[in-house]
Amino acid sequence: MSFASDVRRVLRENIRDYGMFIALFVIVLFFTITTNGLFISPRNIVNLVNQTGYIAVLAVGMTLVIVIRHIDLSVGFLAGFLGAIAAIAMVQWNLPVWVVIPLVLFLGIIAGRITSFMVADLGIPAFVATLAGWLGYRGALQLVTRSTGTIIIPNDDFNAIGNGFIPEFPFGEVIPGMHNLTLFLGIFGIALFVTGELINRVRLQSQNREVQSMEMFIIKLVAVSALIGAITWILAGYRGLSWTAVVILIVVFAYHFMTTRTVLGRRIYAVGGNPEAAELSGISVKRITHVVFGSMGMLTALAGILFASRLQSATTQAGTLFELDAIAASFVGGVSAAGGVGTVAGSLIGALVMTSLTNGMNLMGIDISYQYIVRAIVLAGAVIFDVATRRREQ
Amino acid sequence: MENSSDQTPVVELRGIKKHFGAVQALRGVDLALMHNEVLGLVGDNAAGKSTLMKVLSGAYIPDGGDIFIEGKRVSFANPMDARRLGIEMVYQDYALANNLDVSSNVFMGREVVRIKLGPLGVMDFAHMEQETKALLERLRIDISSVRLKVERLSGGQRQAVAIARATAFDAKVIIMDEPTAALSVAAIDKVLELVKELKAQGSSIIIISHRLEDIYRVSDRMIVLRQGRKVSDSPVEGDIHEFREKVVAYMIGARDDFAERTTA
Repeated sequence: MSFASDVRRVLRENIRDYGMFIALFVIVLFFTITTNGLFISPRNIVNLVNQTGYIAVLAVGMTLVIVIRHIDLSVGFLAGFLGAIAAIAMVQWNLPVWVVIPLVLFLGIIAGRITSFMVADLGIPAFVATLAGWLGYRGALQLVTRSTGTIIIPNDDFNAIGNGFIPEFPFGEVIPGMHNLTLFLGIFGIALFVTGELINRVRLQSQNREVQSMEMFIIKLVAVSALIGAITWILAGYRGLSWTAVVILIVVFAYHFMTTRTVLGRRIYAVGGNPEAAELSGISVKRITHVVFGSMGMLTALAGILFASRLQSATTQAGTLFELDAIAASFVGGVSAAGGVGTVAGSLIGALVMTSLTNGMNLMGIDISYQYIVRAIVLAGAVIFDVATRRREQ
Repeated sequence: MENSSDQTPVVELRGIKKHFGAVQALRGVDLALMHNEVLGLVGDNAAGKSTLMKVLSGAYIPDGGDIFIEGKRVSFANPMDARRLGIEMVYQDYALANNLDVSSNVFMGREVVRIKLGPLGVMDFAHMEQETKALLERLRIDISSVRLKVERLSGGQRQAVAIARATAFDAKVIIMDEPTAALSVAAIDKVLELVKELKAQGSSIIIISHRLEDIYRVSDRMIVLRQGRKVSDSPVEGDIHEFREKVVAYMIGARDDFAERTTA
């Protein structure tokens, strides 16, 4: 396939995915210029990543929920409630961190299964079932924090999740002035990506399956490597990779792999595309619904941990409006309300876009009222773009 | 076409009864499908065609009567049971996931894995794509790539994918419920060609259609249902006009070959 036609084809077939990256790039460029580089300063990048953390984690789960044609409005206050439970477990019950985190994640799964029981087994629309959850968890959060008010979390290990950085190599610095382990991880990541792509390409060719043209392939390798390299360089020049970034990376990689490579992922998308057809093919729509809401609950618990850790406390209002941020991030990331469409990587980009807007406008000192309006325009614009490209394809 | 070892019908229904509340949808219907035969099933609306096929495909559990597959009595609790025993159904509305590609649809619910890990098993894309490609070639279905999403296919191509999927796993019987109902004239021709191709390759097929010329063109034999009863069971022969007249006579109740057997 020739280079020019390949570029056109790749652009045409992936315009939605690339549109998101282009939007993010434009936003970053815009704020970098308007804030005289403050936006891409290492300190702010770390800040941005840590702010994105809980929204990105929620958006990944929310994307799968929307893919199977449901919605979850309860995740905001559930995250707040579970964050409060984590704080209480550490402060009042004196449980160690390594018990508290799995416990809270487990409670999250239980909460998700309660939702899916209502949705899948009782047949209640997810909107209503999770609206009940929104009310219930809001009440529960106020109930458990009523006697204490805000609970300060004195545990350094727990607070490191939202504020700390990965440690340096124990044997000292090879390159002075930089965070060596972060540099190493960045280079390792690039190497892993490049070899993975090469192996995949060779395998596809040996099986006589379609591959991109060599030029396109190289452009992709260089672009992604440069992106990873640049982020690594910025972070390594400051204090290295934050623990929140590590959590995001693990969640995104695990869910990306699950959705694109495994039977479970394929079946989630089959249920989203046509539930009746999936059922007739022997896929249990109920079981998929339980799994997707269970995973949403677990990720909600994780978001609650990230947020409580970041604030180093559990507050009576924690989690307010998180659900709407997560839903907005999912839609900006290309998920379709009609079901069956949306990717994990897309929801991460969507979360980055929405947090970048908030972060950048805060740096510029723009009034909060305008901020809401700008975010509204971006959300509507993203969905209009999505619908328009989808219609043109058909 | 049939040799002596194939004298047992591949599928036989005897005295199938099914009612919904007070409505008697099937009043004891017999049906036999021989190996490598295409059987047309016709009847007016509410004659019981779809109900009968839903019984055979496991979607409905009959109130009475027996189902035999290759002479052995069987019963199904759900469509998966029927499918395991080699009965595949092609639905009028294709029953495909439009957001997935051709290969994913063919293997929906029967994904081939490279690494077994239960639901987290890692799929073997190469294997599934090659199998799908071979399947499309064998059935002479013209689709440029098995990685095309179904939403990009025409109606005829979608129905072809649905039919190909039904044949992909050694089906004994393929039931097609109004396979041409939603298609253009050109697409109908292609689907009927595909049915003939399947017969040439040895499949046994039951086809429901309200388009009598479709039945005429592809079927060896035809059963007419009327008000939950079989009123005709005869080979497809003669020219299209004779055929049409005869079928209509059965459909509206002017003729009935099994009248003496009815119980009130």
